[in-house]
Amino acid sequence: MQKILLVEDNEMNRDMLSRRLQRRGYSVVNAEDGEKGLLLARSETPDLILMDISLPAMDGWEVTRLLKANPSTRHIPIIALTAHAMVSDREKAIGAGCDEYDTKPVDFGRLSEKIENLLLEKKLS
Amino acid sequence: MILQNLSIKRKLTLITMLTSSLALILSSVSFLIYDLVSFRHLLTQDLMTQAEIIGYNSAGALEFKDEAAATATLSALTAKEDIVTAVLYRPDGKIFAHYFRGSTTLPSYLPSRLQERGYRYAGGYLEVFHDVTLNGEHVGTLFLQSNMRQWSMRARRYASILIVFVLISGLFAFFVSSRLQGLISNPILHLEDTMRMVSTNKNYAVRAVKSYGDEIGRLIDGFNTMLSEIQQRDTALQSTNGELKTRTQELEEEIFHRKQTQEELLNAKHAAEEANRAKSTFLANMSHELRTPLNAIIGYSEMLEEETRDSGKIENVQDLRKIQASGKHLLSLINDVLDLSKIEAGKMVLHLETFEVSQVIEEMVTTLQPAAAKNGNSIHVHLADNVNMMRADITKVRQILFNLLSNACKFTDHGTVSVNVEEIKTEDRDWIQFQVRDTGIGISAKQKENLFQEFAQADASIARKYGGTGLGLAITHRFVQLMKGCIWVESEPGQGAVFTVRLPAQVVTETTESAQPESAGKVPAASSETKTGLETILVIDDDPSVRDLMTRFLTKLDFHVVAAANGEEGLRLARQVRPLLITLDVVMPDCDGWTVLNRLKSDSKLAKIPVIMVTVVDNEAMGLDLGAANYLIKPVDRDRLAVLVEKHRVTRSSTITDDNPLPLSYVGDRPAGSKTAGTRASRTRRN
Repeated sequence: MQKILLVEDNEMNRDMLSRRLQRRGYSVVNAEDGEKGLLLARSETPDLILMDISLPAMDGWEVTRLLKANPSTRHIPIIALTAHAMVSDREKAIGAGCDEYDTKPVDFGRLSEKIENLLLEKKLS
Repeated sequence: MILQNLSIKRKLTLITMLTSSLALILSSVSFLIYDLVSFRHLLTQDLMTQAEIIGYNSAGALEFKDEAAATATLSALTAKEDIVTAVLYRPDGKIFAHYFRGSTTLPSYLPSRLQERGYRYAGGYLEVFHDVTLNGEHVGTLFLQSNMRQWSMRARRYASILIVFVLISGLFAFFVSSRLQGLISNPILHLEDTMRMVSTNKNYAVRAVKSYGDEIGRLIDGFNTMLSEIQQRDTALQSTNGELKTRTQELEEEIFHRKQTQEELLNAKHAAEEANRAKSTFLANMSHELRTPLNAIIGYSEMLEEETRDSGKIENVQDLRKIQASGKHLLSLINDVLDLSKIEAGKMVLHLETFEVSQVIEEMVTTLQPAAAKNGNSIHVHLADNVNMMRADITKVRQILFNLLSNACKFTDHGTVSVNVEEIKTEDRDWIQFQVRDTGIGISAKQKENLFQEFAQADASIARKYGGTGLGLAITHRFVQLMKGCIWVESEPGQGAVFTVRLPAQVVTETTESAQPESAGKVPAASSETKTGLETILVIDDDPSVRDLMTRFLTKLDFHVVAAANGEEGLRLARQVRPLLITLDVVMPDCDGWTVLNRLKSDSKLAKIPVIMVTVVDNEAMGLDLGAANYLIKPVDRDRLAVLVEKHRVTRSSTITDDNPLPLSYVGDRPAGSKTAGTRASRTRRN
């Protein structure tokens, strides 16, 4: 079973997304802020990370940068989720080292497609 | 010469006196000489007559050698005071008788030799020789000597009279001339006075008074004419001067007013910008606040739908779908409003990519199939053979097509919606033309007028019947404009409508027009002079022409300019030079401007260097959030740039020691630090 780390501070979103991901057959690890996300990414070594960007204290960009700077977590694909529909967010996400980018509210079909693609890519490489 | 420096008064007096005295003396002296000469002649004649008489009287005595009688005759000369000597000589030259006044001895000066008859002047004496004859026979010679006492007395007297006369007449001449010289000197002196008055007081209104019609009078006339001319010119000059002063004052006032207005305008502009930023932030926040619960509504209802279906309670599925559909509709409305506000704020940026037109059309038709089916419509697609690839913002093309197609489906009942795509070539470029034709209710001429305006549906009843915000076409219109295309509509009420959108086959933005990525190595990126950081500006831009322009422009403002062709190099130079400020481009290969800005601001040593973003990317909020001091959109307004850099220079040179950060109030238009903090705080609160 493939493991997804969901870093999301909003409880409802976290609950909903994790339940839907579980229904799709993934095992989900939840983190409610950036620091926990960072710790869990290291300890749990998930196959993929869903990263909300607007996090208190340490934001998603920062967490992503740190994860991508660490050799032990660098290989984990990260999908940035942002509520800002700002066009520059896409550039910013790629700039920070994210592998994919999606806006909230999440179109679950589209998101799960992206997840599957990334996991497939990872497996192939 | 002393004479030359004398006043004209003195000169005139002196000249008159000298002239008259000289004439007087000359005439007097000549008269004196004449008188003395004629007087002497008279004396001589007198003495010769005397000699004749005495000779006559003594002739007998000489003949008869009567010495006593001769002596007696001679003695009669005592009555003649000035005859000092009388001598009678015999023809042989011996003295016969004599007379000497005052003495009896023979004076030594008696002539040794007897002369012929005649007279002579010798040693201040008049001497006369007279032949004494008796009956025509020479009997002796008489010698008389006169001391000319009368003559010299007369000469002395005359001289004294002359001197007195000359003195008196000299005095008189002085008196008269000192009176009369005023005739000439007074007007001249008056003229001089007037002149002095004019030159000291600069008063050109005074005039010299003309006394006589002579040359001086004419001189005064000339002087007066000259004065009036000067006065006229002076008056004219003064009035011109006055006008000039008034004009200058007016100009100064005008400049002052303009400056005030300018300042007010600037303030108003800043206020407007601030308000606009606030609006954008508000909208961004609002959309976030609205989307978060929507996220939950849509997500949970989707999830519930799946679970419900799994558990076999099919009757609830429809209701859950309605919740989802409403949620999605609400979301699309929010997105529309947000899109429009972004367009209005100029924040909508194109993301150009090359894609296959047919694919997008296919996608959109598939997406809209359910909407078409709902009203019993069928969609037909015709794609011309020459259409294949285009370069544009695919998301926006999708949205344009989506809006047009969904409108067509919405306003058509049991009809046909056809999509026609072809390539059109005009003089200047190639276009891809999308035509969406329906057989629906159509649009009246009046409705067409504000069809592409925000919040303007054809009429209010339509909103009730068909729903929608009326934003779809407005957004479509704006998107088409953004890609430099055009959109128009042909329709009659009840006859259906044809919407035509023409987009350039190769959409270009200013970014792609100006940015020509070039490898950093080729460019003489950084000058070796990197010492004086205080006056140095670091320009980070991958476009060599921009670097060149900025360098030239800033050098003209007396800055030292260091240029970097990419982000990494920019960071290295920033550490090395510690410039006064940095101008930073956003779109650069490898390491973009946001990253550079982020890294600059997270380095404590570089964080205080103000950064001015100079970019085509219109995202000021982002730049300011990341800590940029100012945000300029290319093409750069040079005046604004100049004002900004000067502001930083002034601030830096007046307050900065190396460890002091810039006072916030001076960093650009607004304190960057406080804004950043504020944004972070609100972000924290939001989640």
